[in-house]
Amino acid sequence: MFEYFNQPEVIKYIVTIGSMSLFFVGLFGLLSQKHFIKIFISIAIMESSVFLFFLGNTFNQSFTAPIISEGFKDITQMNDPVPHAMILTAIVIGMAVLALGVSMAIEYYKLTGNTEVDKMNEMRH
Amino acid sequence: MSIKRSLPTATLSGFTLSALLVLSFLNILLQNLPSSMQRAGDSLLQLNATEGVANAVTTVVVYFRGFDTLGEIAVLFIASLGIGLMLNENSQCEIKAEGNFMLKSASKLLFPIITLYGMYVMIYGHLSPGGGFQGGVIIASGVLLLLISHKEFEVPHSVIVLLETFAGVSYVLIGLIGLFTLDVFLGNFLPHDVSQMGVLLSGGIIPIIYIVVGIKVGSEMSMIVQNLIKRGENV
Repeated sequence: MFEYFNQPEVIKYIVTIGSMSLFFVGLFGLLSQKHFIKIFISIAIMESSVFLFFLGNTFNQSFTAPIISEGFKDITQMNDPVPHAMILTAIVIGMAVLALGVSMAIEYYKLTGNTEVDKMNEMRH
Repeated sequence: MSIKRSLPTATLSGFTLSALLVLSFLNILLQNLPSSMQRAGDSLLQLNATEGVANAVTTVVVYFRGFDTLGEIAVLFIASLGIGLMLNENSQCEIKAEGNFMLKSASKLLFPIITLYGMYVMIYGHLSPGGGFQGGVIIASGVLLLLISHKEFEVPHSVIVLLETFAGVSYVLIGLIGLFTLDVFLGNFLPHDVSQMGVLLSGGIIPIIYIVVGIKVGSEMSMIVQNLIKRGENV
């Protein structure tokens, strides 16, 4: 029965449905949580779902990794290197944004003693 | 009293709307999945063979998209700078929990191994999976282990400044040398013979740039981790 799941289309369907549901898990967390750190973690979950979607849809399990070595010199039988490179870039940028956001949240908590979005009313007065 | 508790109908309708959106989005995505993928990387893979670098991902990141990687490193530097500026020095305080005996002795044993592995991933980035970003993050994880286990440990700031400046300046300098010799920014001016593919000294400037990127990422990540641990602790 596992031959069915080995088809490229089925793998792409599974990757699409799984990564999109992960995206909406992150979106739900982003909209429903009030703690700063939880909001940033939700954004990180959404990011990782996009990475999964991008990589899983360009991945072909019958091809090799895009590394030329002794046994593997056939360029047409290799996976696409461009999505890997783009997702590498995106992961680094996402990490930087996450770290900066968390440090902002820490500093805001130190200044006001407040961890929730609902109670941010410093600009109102 | 939160807004959401007071408006259950709004929550319910929002949930239904988002569920409908999910379904329609999934429907569009699943219908438009390309069956025979038109690949962007085929031409790059063919070009990659002329650069003498075994790992095509490394060639794309460092060479074909080298200017983009320079901008990415600048973004990482700005994030590190922002964290260092935002978490101010005055609020520095003691870390409450100290690592126990097991963690302390194990970290002494593990830190050199982690650093060695990070350097291996960094230096062999053009031959095997890995590269500067990955190796730098591995080295920063070793620094994180030391920071957790040893209360008094601190990354020497002057060393980090020197490493970061060296790495950033040499990236730009390598690019400028390529500009003056080959009329291309980040041109591969060192010998990159295809017959040498798979050897450690191959690929011209590509492994050098990735090592430089690894040094920069490792030092910046170490500083970010240290700032968050040492200065973010004060509550």
